[in-house]
Parts: sequence; structure tokens; C-alpha cells
Amino acid sequence: MKKGSIIFTISLALLLVSAAGAAAQDLYFGGYVRNNTGVLIDDDLDFSHVQNTFDLKAEYYGDISELKSEVFINQTDTDDIEIGIKELYVDIFFDSMDLRVGKQQIIWGKADGVFITDVISPKDLSDFVLPDFDEVRMGVTALKADYYTSALDFELVWIPTFTPAVMPETGTIWEVSTPLPSLPTINVPSDTLENSEVFGKVSYMGSAIDIELMGGYMWDDLPAAYQDAGMFADYHRVTMAGGSFSTDIAGLIVRGEGAYYNGKNFTVQASPVTTVEKDFVNYMVGLDYSLAGFTLGTQFIQEIVLDYDDRIMLNDEFKNTMTFVVAKPFLNDTLLLEFFSYVGLSNEDSLLRPKVTYDLADGLEWILGADIFLGDEGDFGQYDDNDLVYTKLKYSF
Amino acid sequence: MKKTKVLIISLILMAMVLGFAQAQITGQEVMENVYNRPTGPDIQSTLTMTLTNSRGSTRVREIKQFIKEFGDDEKKIMFFVAPSDVKNTSFMSWSYGDGQDDDMWIYLPALKKTKRISSSSKSDYFMGSDFTYDDLGERHPSLDTHKILREETVNGEDCYVVESVSKDSDYFYARTITWVVKDEWFGMKREFYDEDDEFLKILTINEYKKVNGYWVIPEMEMYNEQKDHTTLMQLDDIKIGDGIKDSQFTERMMERGIR
Repeated sequence: MKKGSIIFTISLALLLVSAAGAAAQDLYFGGYVRNNTGVLIDDDLDFSHVQNTFDLKAEYYGDISELKSEVFINQTDTDDIEIGIKELYVDIFFDSMDLRVGKQQIIWGKADGVFITDVISPKDLSDFVLPDFDEVRMGVTALKADYYTSALDFELVWIPTFTPAVMPETGTIWEVSTPLPSLPTINVPSDTLENSEVFGKVSYMGSAIDIELMGGYMWDDLPAAYQDAGMFADYHRVTMAGGSFSTDIAGLIVRGEGAYYNGKNFTVQASPVTTVEKDFVNYMVGLDYSLAGFTLGTQFIQEIVLDYDDRIMLNDEFKNTMTFVVAKPFLNDTLLLEFFSYVGLSNEDSLLRPKVTYDLADGLEWILGADIFLGDEGDFGQYDDNDLVYTKLKYSF
Repeated sequence: MKKTKVLIISLILMAMVLGFAQAQITGQEVMENVYNRPTGPDIQSTLTMTLTNSRGSTRVREIKQFIKEFGDDEKKIMFFVAPSDVKNTSFMSWSYGDGQDDDMWIYLPALKKTKRISSSSKSDYFMGSDFTYDDLGERHPSLDTHKILREETVNGEDCYVVESVSKDSDYFYARTITWVVKDEWFGMKREFYDEDDEFLKILTINEYKKVNGYWVIPEMEMYNEQKDHTTLMQLDDIKIGDGIKDSQFTERMMERGIR
């Protein structure tokens, strides 16, 4: 989208919201201003990023409807300015049904920090998984309908046009190492009705347990590469079925989430490079506990390529990962110490994420953190040279 | 005349019997009366918490809350309104009359996700206040052993002074002492002692009144002596028995938020 049309869209959205608000006085504005500066821990102490962000939420509340928009402006150290719409949608509420139409983030699943059944909103992995998760997940234009009974909630999502995940750009420090002989030309499915995506979910929240069952007929967010007259990569259709649960057993939260992908395409090492279709399983089991003011949590995540073909290039047959989190607030919640870590069991790599958050005043927080990559290969080990410390100053209004 | 005398004697005897019975009331019965005191079918209010630290600086949290009785069980949903960085966060708890652990969920708007949180987190402090999640709920009297220590008058109200010791040795309060207003069965004051039986904090009631025939506490204050930190809790726009829908206490409403 050209910058001019983005500005026009944002201006139009704000104008609509303002006009609606002026009529009804049911208008809310909020958002934040944030500076985010990171320094690589290397000999030169290069800046990994210097970014200023202005985020503005505008909401209008009607009798049976709501209009919500969230726009952002990012200004980086190179004076590049990125303007975008995080969300822009209308909610319509009925007695037993809600409709949401427009650009929106849709989040499914019970896992923290990993994506298993959370497959609707594509991910912006330009800076790996380091930004806040509401910035990693991109909004998509969708129609979402929820129907509620006394026991069950039914959700149906239709996404007319496919939006792929955003991968790190070549030449940046987050560039993904690839064994392909050359960078592929990526073919994106055309915007036709036939290429739209459909998702469905049934969920139950009760005293004993929370359960979700879901499925989707969608596009795989990541393309598979093949060799023809050059290197190309195509996105492929995939069918997903999954579920998740969460329950409290004597104060211990037990969570689980799993997804089965039928017909996922993988790139295989051959001459020429080609693709192969395999079924794929991704699941997580996790525990959370609270002890003496500490929040403790761990997750085990496994990915399995069924009927594995040894020639598959980017995926092993099994990939095992664990996550750990420890957090404790101090000074009546004005100081929060957190330590989140990913540990790759298959490649013996990890990402350690210590963080200190201090509330200088209501709505004004200062964050000091580090992202430490360990290992030689794997999702985290490939970034062993990218250890960084960062600071964020954020004012919410 | 003879009939009148008989009536007077009967009334005196009845009063003596009732007085005797009341004098014999046990700590367990007092706390059961507190637990079973009618609070109305539902209540909604705006809750403002003013947190003051030892240096005198203050922070303010504002919450819109809805509570409804479901037989012996109770459901509560809270929508955080201020400060701005927690706006649209919501918290829901379901408490059970049979003493079963509460079910608790939190909706975090930044993650757009409702998470079940551990009932073991009841010892955690709520939004940086001096109230734990447990303090904000109704603790079932069967979880503690209760003993009347004495009777005292507080703010002109005759009170039973009841000591409650948890049957669970791992409970985060070694004991609490509650001043319960006779016959009205609401607490006027409560002292909390930590796991080492050191004095921790005191809850005092600044205002109490009846709304639609039910006692409510529009203003109370918790002072944590160990931290020299105070939380003033004020309720406004109190409505009792307005008929909150059952569907208010659902994930749908947690995620929709309050307008």
C-alpha cells in the first residue's frame, strides 16, 4: 500500500470515528507513545534498533454496535516512517450473536509465546519473535461471527484474501539462514473468492475445564520452494484440525493445545529442488503455578512431520522445544521482574529474555531487558551473534 | 392485669432465653452468620482504589464490577477502567458455597486472550493494592477454626471479636481477628497476621449503610503496616437487585469489555 493511500485510509477512519463520536458523545481515544532502543552486545555496540512509536486507538460505542480502530506510526533510526492500521472494524451485537467485520487480530489457543492453533492472524516476523505479541500478529480483513448458547460458543471466520507471514528481510540481522541455492521468487495466491480461508471453532468455558475445538481450510503461512527455470516458492492449501484445554488441578493450571495439518508442503533436497506433501503435528502441554507471589510456568512443544522424508530441508522429523517463565512483582506491582526462555531441545539452542518493568507513574513505564541467544543452529542458535539489550519508555494515555 | 403480668414475664423470660442463646453463640456460628448474611441477588458498582505508599505518593485504579448469586455460588466480573495501560483488562471469578477452590480467569487485551489463572494465586495482591485476591472474596467458614475472644464496641456498634485460624497450615495468614457487628453480621474491622504470626495489616470500615435493605460497605481502608502502604477502597453507583443477566459472567463479556 502506498504511503499516500495509507494516510488517506487512516484519515478517513479517524474522520468517521470523530463524526460518529461528535454525534453521540460515546467516543474513546487512547493509545501510547513509546521509544524502543536496542544495542547489540558486540565489540562495536551497534544499535539493533531505535524506534519511536505513536499508537492511537479510537472507539465509538453505539447502541448495538461498536467501531474500533487502532493506527500506528513507527519512526526508525534511519528516519523511515511506517504508518499502518493495526485494526479497523465494526462490531454488531445481538442477543446471542456477535458480528465483527473489518481488519482485526484473531487469537486462538492456550499456548504462550508459540503458535499452534493460533493460525488466523499471520505473523510479522521481521524482528523474529522479539516485539510485543500484539505487534507480531497482524490484523487481517475478516468476517467473524460468534453464536452463543448457554454452554457453548460457536465461532466462524471468513478471510476473503490471503495474507502471508512477513519474514525477516535479507540483509537484516534477523535474516533466516537458508540452504536453498538461491533466493526464490515467491508466488502469492491471487485475490479470488476461491482462494479465501475459512475457520471454525467451538468453545466451552466451565468450572472444571475450558475447551476449544477448531478447524480451518487455509493457506500455509510459509511457502515451500522448488526449482524450475529458477528458484520459486509457492504457498499451499492446508487443512487444520485442533483443540486446546485449560484446567485448574489443586492450584496447578494444566494447559494443552494441539493441531493436525493435513497435506503441508515441505521443500526437499533433490535435483531439482522440489516439494513433498506430508501431514504435520504440532502440540504443547504446559503447567502454571503461583507460589509466594512468584508466577511460574513451563511448556513442552513438539513438532512432528509424519511419514518423514529424509530429504526434507528445513524441518527435522521431530523438533522439541521448552519454555520457562518466572515472574514476580515488587513494590505493590510498580516493579515487575520477568524471565522468559525458549530452550530448543533438538538443536541445543535457546533464547533467554530477562526483563524489568518499572512504573514511574500511572501509565508511564520503563522497561530494561535483554535477549540472549545461545547455540550454533536452530531457531534461536542461528542468531547467536544477535544478543542485545534494550530499553523502552512507554507512556499510555 | 393478670394477663398483662403473664405477658410481661413471658417476654422477659423470652428475652433472657434469647440473650442466653446469643451469649452462647460460637465463633463458628458468628462467621457462618457473616458468610450467610444476605447481600442481595446481585450488586454492581464502580470501585476506586487509591494506593498510597510510604512516601505519600498515590496511584488510582478504577474498576466496574458486577456480582451475582447463583444459589450457594457467586460469580463476579471486573472491568478495569483506569489507569490507561490496564484499560479493558477484565477479571472473572466463580466462588462456590461448598468450599471448592474458586475458578478465576483474566482477559489481557494486549494478548487478546482469556487465561485461566491458578487458584493458588489467591495470595497474590490485587492490582498492586493491599488486598489479596482472597481478601476480596468470601472465605468459606469451614476452612478455618473460629473462636470468640471477647466482645467490644467499635464505632458505637457492639461486636464479637473472633479469631480465625486456618485449618491449612500453608495458608498465608497465620490468623485473622475480625470484629463482627452483633445481629447485623458484617465485619467492622479485621487484623491479619502473616505466616510468622507477625502483625501484617488491618482493614477498617469507614462507612457502612443499607441499600435496598442490604448492608454494603461503600468505603474501607487496608493499611499494611509491614510495607507502610495503604489502599482506600471506595464504592460508588451501587445498585442492588437490578437484575444482572447470567450471560454477564462469560468469556464473551470479558472480551467485549465495559463501555
